[in-house]
Amino acid sequence: MKITPSNILQHELIGLRTEVEDSSNSDVKGLCGIVVDETRNMLVIEDEQRKEKKIPKAGNIFVFELNGGVRVRIKGDTLVSRPEDRIKKGKKR
Amino acid sequence: MKRRRRRIEDIALQRIERLFELAEAEARKTKERSRSDRYVQLAREIGMRYRVRIPSHLKMRICKGCYTFLIPGENARVRLKGDYITTTCLGCGKQMRRPYKAPRAPSPRRNEDVSMKDFYNCP
Repeated sequence: MKITPSNILQHELIGLRTEVEDSSNSDVKGLCGIVVDETRNMLVIEDEQRKEKKIPKAGNIFVFELNGGVRVRIKGDTLVSRPEDRIKKGKKR
Repeated sequence: MKRRRRRIEDIALQRIERLFELAEAEARKTKERSRSDRYVQLAREIGMRYRVRIPSHLKMRICKGCYTFLIPGENARVRLKGDYITTTCLGCGKQMRRPYKAPRAPSPRRNEDVSMKDFYNCP
């Protein structure tokens, strides 16, 4: 049971630490926290103050931290689809 | 094609297991259950979409009536009744039964299953 940079696009994002590296909205840029929920267009991130922030996937660049300290940079646009539909999608970077 | 399907099923199963882990952790951390239930919902959606079964030990943690994540002693009652383990959801009252004694004598249908399995395993 491993989440690797090669299969993260198909794998579960909930529970991973993430950072919004770049965003068209300067307010959420640099936001850090744990993903607690996922919808088709949004990631719900719980930040340090235990507040839930709903961040749109499209237009943002996320950096996910996998266990083992590996950091993966992912364009949010590639994540736009329902969480259960993402497994079917082919590998794209 | 077959390999691709196996890969998809493998990831689906991993995700289901991961979601149950998270649901368990969330339920231990807070009294708020909505997040655990959401993870169960996601796990079920993945299972249904890719026709992957939820492993039986995890299936026992879901209420069949209201699909909440069950925590024995908190929102579920587990009792041995006759030949069955009976789990009662304290939220909706649904009872789920699962036999725990030795499996029944092999039925003709079960034998058929085995022969079908052999058939598929043959190259």
